[in-house]
Order: sequence, then structure tokens, then C-alpha cells
Amino acid sequence: MGSAILLAASGLTPVTADSPNAERIEDLYWVLCAIAGLVLLSVAVPLVLFVFRYRSRGRDRTIEGPQIHGATRLELAWTLVPIGLLVIALAFTFYKLPGITLEAQAGERELEIRVEGRQFYWQYEYPNGAIAIDKLRAPANTLVKLVITAPDSDVQHSYWVPGLGGKFDAIPGETNDTSFKAKVGVYKGQCAEFCGTQHAAMLAEIEVIPVDEFDSWLEQEAEAQEAGDSDLGEEEFLGACTKCHGPQGEGLVGPGLSSASVSDAENVAQIVRNGRGRMPAVGEEWDDRQMDALTSYLRKRFAEEGQSGG
Amino acid sequence: MAARAEPPPYPVPWTQGRVAGWVATVDHKRIGILYIITSLVFFLAGGVMALLMRTQLATPDTDFITRDSYNQLFTMHGTTMIFLVVVPIFAGFANYLVPLMIGARDMAFPRLNALSYWLFLLGGIVLLGSFFAEEGAARSGWTAYPPFSAYASGNGQDLWIVGLHILSISSLAGAINFIATIHNMRTAGMSWMRLPLFVWAIEIYAGLLVIVLPALTAGLTMLLLDRTGWTNFFIPDEGGSSLLYQHVFWFFGHPEVYVMILPAMGIISEVIPVFSRKPIFGYKAIAFSTVAIGFYSLLVWGHHMFTVGLPFGLQIWFMLASLTIAVPTGVKIFNWIATTWRGNLIFDTAMLWAVGFIGVFTIGGLSGIFLAIFPFDWQVHDTYFIVAHLHYVLFGGSMFGIFAGLYYWWPKMFGRRLGERLGKWHFWLTLVGFNLAFFPQHFLGLLGMPRRVYTYRDDDLWTAYNLVSTAGSYVMGFGILAFVANVIWSRKHGERVGHDPWLADTLEWYATSPPPPHNFDKVPYVTSARPLRDLRRRMAEQDS
Repeated sequence: MGSAILLAASGLTPVTADSPNAERIEDLYWVLCAIAGLVLLSVAVPLVLFVFRYRSRGRDRTIEGPQIHGATRLELAWTLVPIGLLVIALAFTFYKLPGITLEAQAGERELEIRVEGRQFYWQYEYPNGAIAIDKLRAPANTLVKLVITAPDSDVQHSYWVPGLGGKFDAIPGETNDTSFKAKVGVYKGQCAEFCGTQHAAMLAEIEVIPVDEFDSWLEQEAEAQEAGDSDLGEEEFLGACTKCHGPQGEGLVGPGLSSASVSDAENVAQIVRNGRGRMPAVGEEWDDRQMDALTSYLRKRFAEEGQSGG
Repeated sequence: MAARAEPPPYPVPWTQGRVAGWVATVDHKRIGILYIITSLVFFLAGGVMALLMRTQLATPDTDFITRDSYNQLFTMHGTTMIFLVVVPIFAGFANYLVPLMIGARDMAFPRLNALSYWLFLLGGIVLLGSFFAEEGAARSGWTAYPPFSAYASGNGQDLWIVGLHILSISSLAGAINFIATIHNMRTAGMSWMRLPLFVWAIEIYAGLLVIVLPALTAGLTMLLLDRTGWTNFFIPDEGGSSLLYQHVFWFFGHPEVYVMILPAMGIISEVIPVFSRKPIFGYKAIAFSTVAIGFYSLLVWGHHMFTVGLPFGLQIWFMLASLTIAVPTGVKIFNWIATTWRGNLIFDTAMLWAVGFIGVFTIGGLSGIFLAIFPFDWQVHDTYFIVAHLHYVLFGGSMFGIFAGLYYWWPKMFGRRLGERLGKWHFWLTLVGFNLAFFPQHFLGLLGMPRRVYTYRDDDLWTAYNLVSTAGSYVMGFGILAFVANVIWSRKHGERVGHDPWLADTLEWYATSPPPPHNFDKVPYVTSARPLRDLRRRMAEQDS
């Protein structure tokens, strides 16, 4: 019973804020709720009261109420009091505003990650050149700055992980940025600007891990990607391919994939780079390292399935 | 069947035939009725689209309709409800009522008026017909942001643009006609401060349309050219700016919101005093707040773009200007409530809708204040919070106002009242269904569910709220069915009424119900904003 009430109550509040900027936005939400609640009461109470108190109760239509045409003082009151309430809301907004756009303190570490929205996946690039798809790993309690954009040839997207602050649009030819600073945990989000057939499948996830763990992982990951023995190919398959070709590549919006269709690496690279028919150019600006990771992963995956599945 | 009347002793011209009389008419009343009936048919079509979407979203991972069908449906639902229902139905009300309310014989340009209607019908057919185009209808949302809309394959998007072009010409011609009529054809004594508040609203509605429709036309023309490949205004890959389109679109799009709400507020300002048996409280405040809202609506388009990365100073400006609109809106709401104070409130269905309007529209207005605070908008922009907000203002506001107006003026238009019993079913089912459908969507947005998704992740609360929302939409559907039943029922069984069944205030109730083609044999001299009440009092004095 108690937990049911708790569950219901938690549904009325925003996603739990886990970054200082998101927390400040949530504070704003509650102040606005208080002001809006006050205004709603000042409308609803007299309205309900008058509806019951002055309803006709069978009085004839010819019976008129007092012919009152207005009252200047009253009208001034309900012009000025709302202005006062708005000023309070504004004052609180300006009070919270500096903390809503996070800035690095002097000497504080700041990690800058480039986020690209593409039909229909997110591509992240770390400062050392390592690439990640859809799922971002970030260090805990560190200021992480996301520089958000989209390739010129793509469409508009919007990057949003609600627990870590507001959304910002990924617009071809434009760059936006936002920052977060979070505890260890997994934070979910998704694309918020309609971007096409699989807009709903364009999910994002940020996994925040301890700083030491992150630093060593990032170094290893960059080396592994350089050497061509990382999981990048699988990440690319899951992010860029499965949303249209199905979770196992069995076909969904686009056709199913088979060992025959992925065996010719050059052909695959050509299609991934340029798109074909309704398929967008998902890998238009990929470098060779990214492309090789995908083609070798595809060859391996579908060849193995072909053998085991007979 | 009643016996047919004797044929008239003179030959009837073909333009007065039973069908041709409607096709060839230049009578503002017939054109008004054509507008209203056509809009209501489009309203049913848009409603069916909404129910299909809500069915798809009832539970996560449903395969009721395909992704592309879903994307077409939300695009066409929005486009239909805005361009084929709310804007033109107000043109219908205005056509029917403005000449009658100001004591004129017809609109200033009757033929242009007929052209406006037929262009509206044509635009509607082009838009809805686009479902049959190659690859179906447009699927980039009613906002049609490039570059997505510029790249979208098939002809649906092209037909969408052409359809909107036709509708824009129709609206523009209509708007010019309303302005010319209101400025030049008011009867003796009908000064600006005696003008019915609905006519004030139409004056601003028309003014806004004249100012902003050219921006839409320009933006859509550039988009159409981009789609042909000849130009690249909005295509970043070729050096264009997709952000430019957003500015052009919302310079039109935000005032369009007020185009859709001010006439509803005008209707409420007519209905509340008549059914409270009192004069409107603060006539001047309501009239001037209409002007103020219209003016400020031109300065706030950027609040639709808080997440695109506008310069900080601009975000602050758009926040301030948007909040400012809350003040004149509040003035109206408090004046309506004050009008009911110590009245003799008669709850015919029209009054139910008007009081319902005040309640639900206030909720929509308040969620608008949340959205104007730009850091909060960063969280809920493009989520179901927005979907909830816009339906509270456009259904809870515009449509509630439209229903109030239909129940109020139906007897004038058709000589019979709509039924009270079905009317009450219509109101209560719609009110309950509406709140069930849309209130939980605020929470969905706060929890992170974006709009325009054909499915969503399976999460206890998301699933629960979506299911409630879908159930609510079905209840609304039954409410609308009650309205359709009422319209059919009233044709034969509706109570017949005389000139002035509500003992109203304004000149349209001086004419017969329905009025003759020339409206008035003689128009009484207007000495106040309530000429009919003045007339009733003079007659009562003569009798005694």
C-alpha cells in the first residue's frame, strides 16, 4: 500500500536529477508548481463557488443579475498581482541560472566529448580519438562537456538524457554544448527531435564509472580500436544497423542481412558510406578504422551464423 | 412528408436550386455554414487519426500500425486540426456572425468570400488526398523541419506544401475580407467600443493572419524549391541553414496559436454574459487584452526554439515576452469569472462549454508559463509535456470555445436548438475523456517520453499513463459521437425557436432564425454594446 502510494507520487515528479544542472532545473519546477498552483486555486475556487452559489435554480431567464460593468481597482489587482508572481518566478530563474550552465572551475578537470546525431544512432568521440556508439562511458564526479552536432548530410536530432539535464538539438552545420557531472550509475535517454522512421529507436545511454576505471578503460579502448581488435564493430552493428535491419540482422524496416550480402567488404563499405534507396548514408564520415571494424565484424558474425545455423 | 408548397409563380433561377443554391452562393450565411460543416467533417477525420495513434500507443511495442503510417498520422492529424478545422471553423463563425453582429447586409466582398471557401475545400482535398500519393502523406510533422522534410521521398510532402499554399490564399483573402467588413460596414452607432467582443477577436485574428501568412508562404515556397533540388535555402550540406526555416516557420507558427485561441475567447466573452444574465465585466479590459495578446504573439516565436542554441540574450528576451502574454490572458479569465458573480447562471449546454473552457484553458495557460522559463523548457521541450500543453490550449481552449459557439448560435443558423440531453452527454463525456487523455501526458513528458514516437520503452509508469491516456481518448470519441447524434437528431426534433431564444445582447438575435438573405429589414440604432437588451427594455417600457 505504502509503496503503491510512493510509486504513484513518484510519477508526478520529473526524472530524478543526478547532475547539478538537472537538480537546479528540478528546483525551478517545484517553484513554478507552487506559483501555478496558487494561480489555479485563485481561478478554480471562485469559479466553482460562483457556479454553485449563483446557478439559476429554476429562476426565469428574464431575471437579470446586477448590471455591473466593471471595477477598475479589481481589474488593476488582477493585472498587477500576476505581474508580481511572474517577477518572483523570474527572480528565482535568474537566481538558479548560473548553475544551470555548468562551467569548469579553475584547475578543474573537464572532459570534452563530441556527440553526433545520425539517422538513427549517436556517435561519440573522445579527445583521444576513441569512438563509441549510442552508449557513452563517462567518469564520475567529473565535469563532462558534450559538444553536440550532426553531420551536414544528416537531419536534426536532439540529445537528451533527462536525469543529467536539458536537451540540446543536434543540427547539421550548428554546434551546441551542455555539461553534466554525475555519480556512478546508468542514465537513459533518447532522441527528442523527430528524425525519421526509426526516431523512436534512437536511444542513448550514459554509464558513469569511477574516474580511475574510466581513464584506464579509455586508454585501452583507444589502443584496441587503433589495433583493430576492439568491440567497435559490434557497437556499430547494434547502433547503426540493427535499428532498421532487425536486432539479429533478420530484417525489419530494411532487408535481412546474410553472409552473402555482407561478405564483400568493399561493397558493404560503399553502401554504408553512401546509402542506397531508402537507406541513409549511416557511415558517411566514418574513417577506415571504423569501416574496417564494421565490415570485419559483419563478416565474422554472419559467416559464423551461416555455419552454425546450417 | 409534408405536402409540397405551391410552385412559385415566377421562374426560379438555377442559382437558387437546392444544390446550386449552395454551390453558387455568395451569401455570407450560407458560406459560413459551408465552412462550419466542412470543418466539422475534417474534425472527424482528424479525430480518427488521433484514435489510431492512441491505439498504437496503448501498450508498448504494439504493431497496430506501421512506423511510417504513424509518422504520417501525427503529421496529418496536426495539420488537419490546425489548418482544416480550427482556423477555418472560426472563419465560418466569423462569416456567419460578423455581418449580422455589426448590422451589415453581407461581407464587404461576397465573391471573394465564396472564393475563400472553395479554396479551403480544395486545400483540404489536396491535403487529405495526399494519403494516396506515392509513399503516402507527408511524414515530417506539422512543423516540417528541414533538412528532413527537404529529403523526404515520395510526393506527400509536396502535396502538403501545395495544400498549405492553397489554404493560405484562402485564409488571407478571408482575413482581408473580415478587416474590410469590420472597418467599413458597421451600422449607425456601432462604434469600436460597442463592437461585440467576438468581432474584436476576429479583427485581431484577421490582422495576425495578414501579417504572418506571408512568412509561412515564403518558408514553404523555399522548402518546395529545395525539394526540387534547384535551391538549397535550408540544406546544410549545400551551405543552407535549416535553422533559418525554424525562425520563418515560428514567426508564423506562434501567432497562429493566437489565431486559433482569440476567436474562442471571443465566443466565451459572448456566451458567459448572456447565460449569466449580466453584462460582461470589464468590456474594455477584454477588448484591449485581445489587442495586447495579438501584439505580443508576434514577439515570442523563439520560445519554440529554446533547444536550438539561441544566443543567451535572445533566450532571455523570448522568456520575458512569453511570460508577458500571461498577464492579458489572466485579465480575461478573471473578468469572465467576475461576470458570473451574482448572476442568474443558466446552464444550457453552451454555458457548460464556456465554464469548462475557463477551467481547462487555465491549466493549459499555466503549463505555458512552465514552458516560457527556458531552462525548464530544455527538459520538457519535444516531450509529451508539450503534447499535453498544446491540447489543453487547442482542444480545451479552441475546441471547447467552438462547441460553446455551436450550441449558442445553432438556433440562429438552423432555426432549431441542439438537444440539451445529448448536449450534456457530449459535454461531460468529452470533459472527462479529455482530462483522462491529456493530464497524464504532462507526467509522461516529465518522465522523459519524447513526442512523435510510434512506440516507447516498457516502463511501469510510462505504460500505465499511456494506457489511461488511450482510454481517455476513447471516452472523448464517444463524446464526439454524442455531438454527431445531436446534430442529426436536431434536424427533425430540435426545439424550434424565434428570433432570440437566449434573450441575448447582440444584433444577430434581432434577425429571424435563420435570417433572410438580406439579414435585416431595418437595423435598430445602436446606443450601447448590448443593442438587443436595450431594445427589449424599450419595448417593455412601451408596453407598460
